[in-house]
Amino acid sequence: MTETASTGQGGGDVRLTGISKKYGSFQAVQPLDLTVQQGSFFALLGASGCGKTTTLRMIAGLEEPTTGTVLLGDRDVTGLPPYKRPVNTVFQSYALFPHLDIYENVAFGLRRRGIKSVKKQVGEMLDLVQLGDYARRKPQQLSGGQQQRVAVARALINRPQVLLLDEPLGALDLKLRRQMQLELKRIQTEVGVTFIHVTHDQEEAMTMADSIAVMSAGRVEQLGTPGDLYENPGTTFVANFLGTSNLIETEVVGRDGDAITVSGSGGCKLTLPAARCSAPTGNGRKVLVGVRPEKMAISHADDAGTIPEGRNRVPGRIAGTSFIGVSTQYVVDSAVCPRLEVYAQNIERDGRLAPGADVVLHWNPQHTFGLGADQDIAAGEEAAS
Amino acid sequence: MAASRWIRRHLVVIAGLVTLAYMILPNVVVMVFSFNKPTGRFNYSWNHFSLDAWKSPCGAAGLCGSLGLSLQIAVYATIAATILGTMIAFALVRYRFHGRGPVNSLIFLPMAMPEVVMAASLLTLFLNLGAQLGFWTILIAHIMFCLSFVVVAVKARVLSMDPRLEEAARDLYAGPVQTFVRVTLPIAAPGIVAGALLSFALSFDDFIITNFNAGSTVTFPMFVWGSAQRGTPVQINVVGTAMFLIAVLIVVVGQAVSSRRGKSAATS
Repeated sequence: MTETASTGQGGGDVRLTGISKKYGSFQAVQPLDLTVQQGSFFALLGASGCGKTTTLRMIAGLEEPTTGTVLLGDRDVTGLPPYKRPVNTVFQSYALFPHLDIYENVAFGLRRRGIKSVKKQVGEMLDLVQLGDYARRKPQQLSGGQQQRVAVARALINRPQVLLLDEPLGALDLKLRRQMQLELKRIQTEVGVTFIHVTHDQEEAMTMADSIAVMSAGRVEQLGTPGDLYENPGTTFVANFLGTSNLIETEVVGRDGDAITVSGSGGCKLTLPAARCSAPTGNGRKVLVGVRPEKMAISHADDAGTIPEGRNRVPGRIAGTSFIGVSTQYVVDSAVCPRLEVYAQNIERDGRLAPGADVVLHWNPQHTFGLGADQDIAAGEEAAS
Repeated sequence: MAASRWIRRHLVVIAGLVTLAYMILPNVVVMVFSFNKPTGRFNYSWNHFSLDAWKSPCGAAGLCGSLGLSLQIAVYATIAATILGTMIAFALVRYRFHGRGPVNSLIFLPMAMPEVVMAASLLTLFLNLGAQLGFWTILIAHIMFCLSFVVVAVKARVLSMDPRLEEAARDLYAGPVQTFVRVTLPIAAPGIVAGALLSFALSFDDFIITNFNAGSTVTFPMFVWGSAQRGTPVQINVVGTAMFLIAVLIVVVGQAVSSRRGKSAATS
């Protein structure tokens, strides 16, 4: 399996080749190849236990890979201990030294490399994370968000080739997390260092990263830009883990140029672009057809005649609604597929769309994707919640 | 009515003061009697005020020799027990090795066993080995029982230490030695210091084990015990008072320093 985020051969890329980790009989990371382009913000996304942190620790040198090599640019660092790698880590619980003040925490890396005059650099770094006034405080006197920024400053001051972030925002509350996401993104743009960010939060990954590797069970499921992963998930795991997908079991019944026609249970015909189907599309092949909830429109069955021709249609009955201010989420039971989710913007609300009402769901066929039916249709759903 | 209400309101303070008095009273008696000029050989009843004993603290034959010996043994035993105990504690927490379980429980034995039993068995051991009883047998015995206290104190500290701190140090260009000196040791220091202080105190005033294994050597507690049979020189009270005051002074200075450090960290 080969996954590359870039085709360019940058001098400072992080390249993992055939890297794997085994603890006893447990395979934490399957052999994987991964290239992270220099200067990019890269996210390793997955549920806990998927091997993303182990992968990160192998890049840091804190974990020795069972097989494979780690390359920074053209330099093989696989055998180097962490203190000889031009890589720094922001740890999950920050791991600030409790016996040192903020200034000494930030200066730690410079001092260990024998740099005597650290004052200017430490001052600049503390300004970058907006903590100049806190230099003489101890870590435990700072709030979670402030500690997090100290941890970033302590790592970044060493001008690492790569900054590794292990769930750096996991301990913060939602509002602070949003704020820090933007803050980290700002810092990354400002210093231009490669960031590799491990997270289980798909929203966080999509907000911050230039490219994302979705991991599951020690394997990279899919790699791409946030938009690409969202619009063209390659597996049911990715489709369910990143946002929500409606997946409908169907069978291919025909092909007309670039459009494939499939039939769901109850004889409901749907079309999708052949280019967006990752599974074989011969007649009679089983295919899972997917569509994102916000791409669907909902109309009352009485208005079915007003729906333009050429759109995919699925009849059903509303099982539940929930009002979320900007939108309303409908759960619709259909013969084709139970519990379809639809998000409708609250522009003009139709009072007839209440539980029990017969409706027709319709959407542009271009927004439909197809996946192989040999996978678990619910994969990644629990991991995402 | 008013009196009982006052008592009820101040019960915690009263209880605290009474407890404090209970603990300090013996020290006060020692202090007061260090200024006594006893009539006979025994310093048990007040005669009249005198500074004689304070002017010549070594006036009693053998006292200063035994005090010096006790301090010497306490210092050596503390150093040896602290170093060994710290290493044992790290080994027990950080590494998985054969015999780790038994070592973990055996290390508690000296704390759990009655002192007199341990004293007798040590004596048996030394006699069977043909060892000359004296300074070295005392030192070996003291290191042994101090060890368990150091291990317990340091182990608690190392157990509560986040292993990520050492990983962070290694990640920030500190090699194994630097990591230990700059991060591990400073964080474990409070446990190590507690173990060392405990060792010093335990070694300095140990009587039972020392008495069994000392041969003709006389430590300070043995000197006090011996003189209690024949007459107690006032100098014993002087030494006792001086030690009490030094200990109090150390505690007060330590508290003042740490509270000042905390305050300056909070305001800067």
